[in-house]
This record gives sequence, structure tokens and C-alpha cells, in this order.
Amino acid sequence: MRWIPEYQPDVERVERFNAVARITHWGHTVTFLLCLFTGLILFLGGVDWLAAIFGGHRGAGLVHRIAAVGMTLMLVFGLLFGFKGYIAWIKDIFRFGMNDIKFLSIFPLDFFGVKMKIAPQTRFNGGEKMNSVVLMTMVSLLVLSGYIMWFPSIFPAGLVRFSYPTHDLAMIFSTLMVCMHGFLGSLHLGSGESFWGMWKGTVRADWAKHHHAIWYEETYGDKAKAE
Amino acid sequence: MARLKTNLYDVSKCTACRGCLVACKDSNQLPAVMEPFKGNYATHEDTNGNTYTLIRFIEHEDPVDGVRWNFLKYQCMHCLDAECMKVCPKKAYTKTEWGATIHDEAKCIGCQYCTYACPFGIPKYRKHTDTVTKCTLCVERVEEGLKPACARTCPSGALSFGFRDELMQQAEERVKFLRANGFPRATIYGKVELGGTNKIYVLTDTPDKFDLPVDPKVSANTWVWQDWIRPYAGWLIPVALGASAVSFVTNRLINKGDDHAKGGHE
Ligand code: HEM
Ligand code: HEM
Ligand code: SF4
Ligand code: SF4
Ligand code: SF4
Repeated sequence: MRWIPEYQPDVERVERFNAVARITHWGHTVTFLLCLFTGLILFLGGVDWLAAIFGGHRGAGLVHRIAAVGMTLMLVFGLLFGFKGYIAWIKDIFRFGMNDIKFLSIFPLDFFGVKMKIAPQTRFNGGEKMNSVVLMTMVSLLVLSGYIMWFPSIFPAGLVRFSYPTHDLAMIFSTLMVCMHGFLGSLHLGSGESFWGMWKGTVRADWAKHHHAIWYEETYGDKAKAE
Repeated sequence: MARLKTNLYDVSKCTACRGCLVACKDSNQLPAVMEPFKGNYATHEDTNGNTYTLIRFIEHEDPVDGVRWNFLKYQCMHCLDAECMKVCPKKAYTKTEWGATIHDEAKCIGCQYCTYACPFGIPKYRKHTDTVTKCTLCVERVEEGLKPACARTCPSGALSFGFRDELMQQAEERVKFLRANGFPRATIYGKVELGGTNKIYVLTDTPDKFDLPVDPKVSANTWVWQDWIRPYAGWLIPVALGASAVSFVTNRLINKGDDHAKGGHE
């Protein structure tokens, strides 16, 4: 049994994510997970063993803050060096059409492994578009409410009290997405190849053609080559 | 619940001698905390890790009466429906049968959620213990049958201690008296505020003139956070993890015999 699809260097491959996108993505992944596990200690209340991993509650609080600053720096880094990429990403999210609706309606079956005929997709498929919107919103909320909770004395008390439930809800919705997203981006058989796109930068051309037909045509298809 | 035992503070009898402050420090073995002179008579701006109670000096200008001085003994109000208790992730707060809000330093991790949830901002962080601290309503003394240290010390009779229902009656009579004798806005604080507090004040003027929140409410945000999100919403995460685990298995069952290395290519 294979965990993720094997990386095949000898077949035709096409670039999917450049270095800035990959660094930002994995930078966010590491800082997000650090924040998550240190934050869960307080959310769950009684998990002292989890606190012990980070050297107690004070240590966990410190790790949460260091990771939070790291996450903020990753945001700045991405915006500074990959601004065009961000714009292209957002533009693609707004290319939401019938094909995305079709995708989302059959996706539950595809998720559990049933082979489905998928409508041609742009760079990001309907599910990835949804994932993008949810994570962008929730991470922004986490960052904003997080800094308010970090420096409560300089914000109005009402805003501080609003930030706690906001931080928790954003944590729950983002983590829920990340659980399924992380699985789809690695261990899921159908979409597992995308892992290499985020890890090494390229995916198999035949996989790209199959999963993101519109994107493939526009970027690597005959017309694009001719230009 | 047993009968509630309460501290009553009558501001009209207080001379701001600060005997209670000293008695509190002495009884709780707290070191003195020096703060720089801030241009008024208050020794401290606010409660701090080593100061559970203080006398606040509030100066305000009244168009009729000119400049007015108000002072107020300030400490934990021992709210009957305590916010601090709701938000604490470590359940460090408990209520005694007779109504004191007790903080257990051994459980506290110093996160200060309670500091910012408390309508009065009472619990304060103390660095060397890495916990917050606050007025204990002298729980140990009271359970031995004594009065709280501050109430025992008070020379002018501004502080008294006893059953809440009895003291409430006294307070009401006192307010009637004050209203008839030059303090028309005299009022009780802590009878209805926050569902009642287990420290009650007789004030000579409206609460805002004492820098007290006029109509403090249990924050709806805190309610949503504590009674809804924390106990229920978190289950969405294990559900997502579970769905992924199921998918991991069904994927491999349904596609048995396929060349998995190809990654689902038709
Ligand atoms: C810039 C980003 C962030 C900042 C500044 C931030 C800041 C904070 C602060 C100050 C606290 C209060 C607890 C303490 O004092 O240690 C907190 C709690 C928490 N954080 Fe964050 N955080 C950030 C990102 C995140 C992320 C990405 C997650 C997880 C996905 C997360 C999950 C939590 C959780 C679960 C709690 C506990 C809330 C509770 O007790 O119910 N945080 N955060
Ligand atoms: C847990 C491990 C994770 C893995 C294995 C993983 C894997 C991947 C992969 C392979 C892609 C590329 C998908 C494509 O080809 O379009 C991707 C995209 C993305 N990732 Fe992750 N990721 C993880 C965690 C995270 C976290 C923690 C976040 C943010 C909080 C995140 C946010 C995103 C976003 C916004 C995208 C672009 C939209 C999309 O394709 O869904 N990822 N991830
Ligand atoms: S005054 Fe503040 S610290 Fe005291 S019981 Fe009420 S909420 Fe808790
Ligand atoms: S500082 Fe201590 S008492 Fe206050 S909420 Fe945190 S753990 Fe509870
Ligand atoms: S009741 Fe005890 S702890 Fe509270 S202010 Fe009075 S002396 Fe201090």
C-alpha cells in the first residue's frame, strides 16, 4: 500500500507552484499547527500533558506567540515577494462557475474514493476555491483577534471580549478545513499528486490535464505554447 | 445554598484612613507596593498582584456643588454569577456556600482571561508566582468564625460583615436616611448589578461618580464563548478528522488493484 503517489521525475511535468508560494504555504502550515496545538491547551482546559510538551503553560503561551509572529511574517513575505501570485489566486477564486458547482455536488463521493467524471476545472477546483476562501477569512480573523487578545489593555474591553469567541470559532472552522485539506493534499489517492506540486513545484502533466483541464489548456496547452 | 455572608461598605461613613488596606496586607502577608506619586491622594491606581484592596479617590466637577471628592474602597465584588469563574480555562475559581469567590493559585496558570472578563478588572497578575491574585473575602478567617480583616479593623464603622439579607435591609434604611439628609442620589450598589454581588456598597451618589460601571452586564460574548462554542462547536474537528480517516480506508478499498502510484488518473 502506498501513502502518497510516487514522485515520478521521468515523465513530463509542469510547474504548479513557484518557490514563494511553496515557502509561504509550508511556513503557514508549520506556524498554524504550532498555534493550533498550543491554543488547544487552553481551549480544552484539562490537557496538561499537551502543555508539558511545550514546557508547561507559560512555555505554550510563548510558543503560541512566537508562531503567531512567524505566521504574520509569512503573510508579509508572501505579499512582498509573491504579490502577483496572490492576485492571480484571488482572480481564479472569482472564476466560480457551473463547473465548480458540478464539482462540489459530486465531490462527497469523489472524496470517499468513488471514481467520478469531473467537469473541467480552472487552476483551483471548486473545493480548493472553497478551501481558499474559508482559510483566507479564518486566518485573517485569527490574526486580528489574536493580536487583540495579546494586548488586551490597549483595546476597548468590549472588543477584547468579542475576540475570544471569534478566535475560537475561526480556529474551529479553519482546523476543520485543514484536516480535510491536509488529507486531500497528500493521502487521498485521487488528488495526492498535488502534494508534489506544493512540495517540489511540479505535477505530472497528464494529472494536471485530467484534474485542471482549463488551467492546463490556458497555461501549457497548444494555444499557450504558440504564443 | 446556605445563607450568604457579605461585606457591607458604607461610603458615607468612610474616612479614607486606609486601615483596611493595611489590615488586608497584613492578614494576607502581602508586601507593600510603592507607586510613583500621581498628583492625587490614592496610594495605588488599581488593584495589583500584591494589593487586593485600595481606596480610590475620584474627583469630579459638579455644576451645582463645585468640585466633589469621592472615595471608594475597591476590591473584588464576589459577584454571585461571577464572570471570572466562567472564563477560567483551568477552573481555578470556586464559590463557597456563603458566596465568596475563591481563587486557587495552585490551579491558576496566569493566562489572565479572568482579568479581562471581570467587569471590574479585579484579578491581577503577580509575576513571582505566575498567577493572578485577588481579595479572598478572608475565607479562612470567616470559616473560623471571624470577620474579614478589613471589616474588623475599620474604625469608623464603614465596613460591616454579616448575613446578606440582614445587611441589605440595613443598607436600604441607610440609603433612605441619606436621601433625606442631603444626598438625594444615594443608592445601593450590588443588590441587582450582575445578578447581585456578595459585597454591597452604600453610595452617596450615582455609581458613575465612583467610577463604577453603571449597569454592568454579563457579556453576551462571554456567554456565547463559554456556554456554546467551548462545549459544542469543537466537535466539528474530530468529525472532519473522522471523515478523512474513513475516506483513507474507502479510497483504498474501492480502488483496490489499481495502480495507486498513478494517483487516481483515469
Ligand atoms: C497572529 C496569529 C495569532 C495570535 C496573535 C494569537 C494570539 C492568541 C492569544 C494572545 C491567546 C490567548 C491565550 C494566551 O494568552 O496564551 C490565544 C488563544 C488561542 N489561540 Fe491564538 N493566536 C494566533 C493564531 C492562532 C491560530 C492560527 C490558532 C489555531 C488554529 C489559534 C488558536 C488559539 C486557541 C485555540 C486559543 C485558546 C482560546 C481559548 O482559550 O478558548 N491561534 N491566541
Ligand atoms: C497539514 C498539512 C498540509 C498539506 C499536506 C497541504 C497540502 C497542500 C497542497 C498539496 C496544496 C496544493 C493544492 C493544489 O494543487 O492546488 C495546498 C494548497 C493550499 N493550502 Fe495546504 N496543506 C497543508 C496545510 C495547510 C494549512 C495549515 C493551511 C492554512 C492554514 C493551508 C492552506 C492552503 C491554501 C490556502 C491552499 C491553496 C488553495 C487550495 O489548493 O486548496 N494548507 N496545500
Ligand atoms: S468582581 Fe471580578 S473577580 Fe470578583 S467575583 Fe466578580 S468577576 Fe470575579
Ligand atoms: S489567570 Fe488563572 S484564574 Fe485567571 S483565568 Fe487564567 S488560569 Fe484562571
Ligand atoms: S476581605 Fe480580606 S482579602 Fe478582601 S479586602 Fe478585606 S481583608 Fe483583604
